Amino acid sequence: MTVLETARPHPSTSRQWWVLTVRIITPTLRNGEVVTLIAASIMFTVGFYIPLKQMMGALANGMSSYAQYLMPLIALQAIAFASLSAAFRSATDSVLGINRRFKSMPIAPLTPPASRMSASMYRCSIALAVSLVCGHVIGFRFYGGLAHTVGFCVVVLLIGAALSFLGDLIGAATENPEATAPLMLLPQLILGFLSVGVQPVERFPSWIQPFVRNQPASQEVYALRALAGDSTPMAGPVSWSVIGPTLLWVAGFTIVLLPFHVLVASRRR
Amino acid sequence: MVVASADNTTATRGGLGDERPIVERDFAENSLRRLVPHTWVLTARLMRRWRRDRAAVLESVAMPVVLLVTLHIVLDDGISQVTGHSALYGSVPLIAMVAAMSGSMVGGIGLMRERSDGFLSRLWVVPMHRASGLLSRLAADGVRIVVTTAVILCAGLVMGFRFHQGFLASVAFVFVPTVFGLAFTVIVITLALYAANTLVVEGTEVIWGMLMFFSSGFVPLDQFPRWIQPVVQHQPVSYSVEAMRGLSLGGPVLAPAVGMLLWSAGIVAVCAIPMAVGHRRASMRG
Repeated sequence: MTVLETARPHPSTSRQWWVLTVRIITPTLRNGEVVTLIAASIMFTVGFYIPLKQMMGALANGMSSYAQYLMPLIALQAIAFASLSAAFRSATDSVLGINRRFKSMPIAPLTPPASRMSASMYRCSIALAVSLVCGHVIGFRFYGGLAHTVGFCVVVLLIGAALSFLGDLIGAATENPEATAPLMLLPQLILGFLSVGVQPVERFPSWIQPFVRNQPASQEVYALRALAGDSTPMAGPVSWSVIGPTLLWVAGFTIVLLPFHVLVASRRR
Repeated sequence: MVVASADNTTATRGGLGDERPIVERDFAENSLRRLVPHTWVLTARLMRRWRRDRAAVLESVAMPVVLLVTLHIVLDDGISQVTGHSALYGSVPLIAMVAAMSGSMVGGIGLMRERSDGFLSRLWVVPMHRASGLLSRLAADGVRIVVTTAVILCAGLVMGFRFHQGFLASVAFVFVPTVFGLAFTVIVITLALYAANTLVVEGTEVIWGMLMFFSSGFVPLDQFPRWIQPVVQHQPVSYSVEAMRGLSLGGPVLAPAVGMLLWSAGIVAVCAIPMAVGHRRASMRG
């Protein structure tokens, strides 16, 4: 007995986090998840660009090409798809009871959600990389120098983190994988179409313009468009008044979701 | 069938005090006389589940309606300038197809859950017609597609969509999405029986997303670059949209309807045997 007591392991939180993260990432390489993620990112590029180029191309607001105009929306759609599918994952985990199992083990309460978040960031990185490659193919270029290019990627990943946080909460709160399915692609398409990512705000009916201009997707499109730059000055300047709203949306979103996460995590069954 | 014959002998074997009800068996479990009532019971079960799972049902109907309104706001100006009539005659059929396809995921996820929690194996040891499990899923999905199409149609009518081809054509309109919608359900069920859980959901979304973007209901055919127009023109969702456009606004109905039926028949022909085999395997697994 004494031998057992002295041999009792003292698991390190960072190691547990790594193990739980790898638990989610490893299957994605085998079961085709990475392939669907890449396919989805390609779909958003070709799906918005090819049908809309001719009809909307003239409306690109003085920018050098419709690809340059559309790219922020493509990146946002790809990242939203990658992160909101966290809802299905965490709902499945909840239904299978693995979260309950983790609660009964010597694991810090924040480790399982942290590992789910880092796995989501892995998915977001893939989506961002693929959509940047696709954007390059259709003619999108960075004009803003290294700092702005890095800023573009960081802002996209921050948005991805906030959306993963939301997706994880939806899944854990509903515990109903069936109910998460309609929440994945349709809402992001709706917000994407109702943003300045496809056409300038002046093209919308006047009654909906305030919503279109101020909803998070539009503010994010403005920020990303400025960070990407353009050969013409129409992309807008990189300033706090352009980037700030996006950062505030992301921060506000996370702060509002935090208590709900704590509530769901501390729920006992 | 082995199960059934073993079941018949229990009455004679039960000598140790376990009394079991002796069920009258007029027909074999796989007789056609059993197929209809068994399928009906299981279909009613699935529809009762949906009625009680309000969140999933509301989302799968409400989201497409919101997307229809959105597409109308964003694309109507551009499309009516190009074609000369309202974009609704393309977008109402398109969204009906999107709702039919995206909603089939709810059934697919339900099937995966019932496989993993053992419900399918439970049904397999019951003297039930072997085809009724799959047929009931298709029947329930058919009902779901007709209902969602009707809701989307009502939203379209409020926004200014009108039938110009008479009463029969408008009734036929409601049933058009069922044809390819059910073929799509067959794909989802087959995927659900073979692939990993998450792949089914995301793969399905990518498939219907591509079919939506590259269809003649999203933007008119001549707005696509010339090299991709044949693909857009001959894919199943475009065929369905064109058939529904013909039934509402006017135009050819027969040619697109034949294309849609050929696509659906092809999909069912390819998937039928893998689906039946996969369902049997999933049912016999612990």
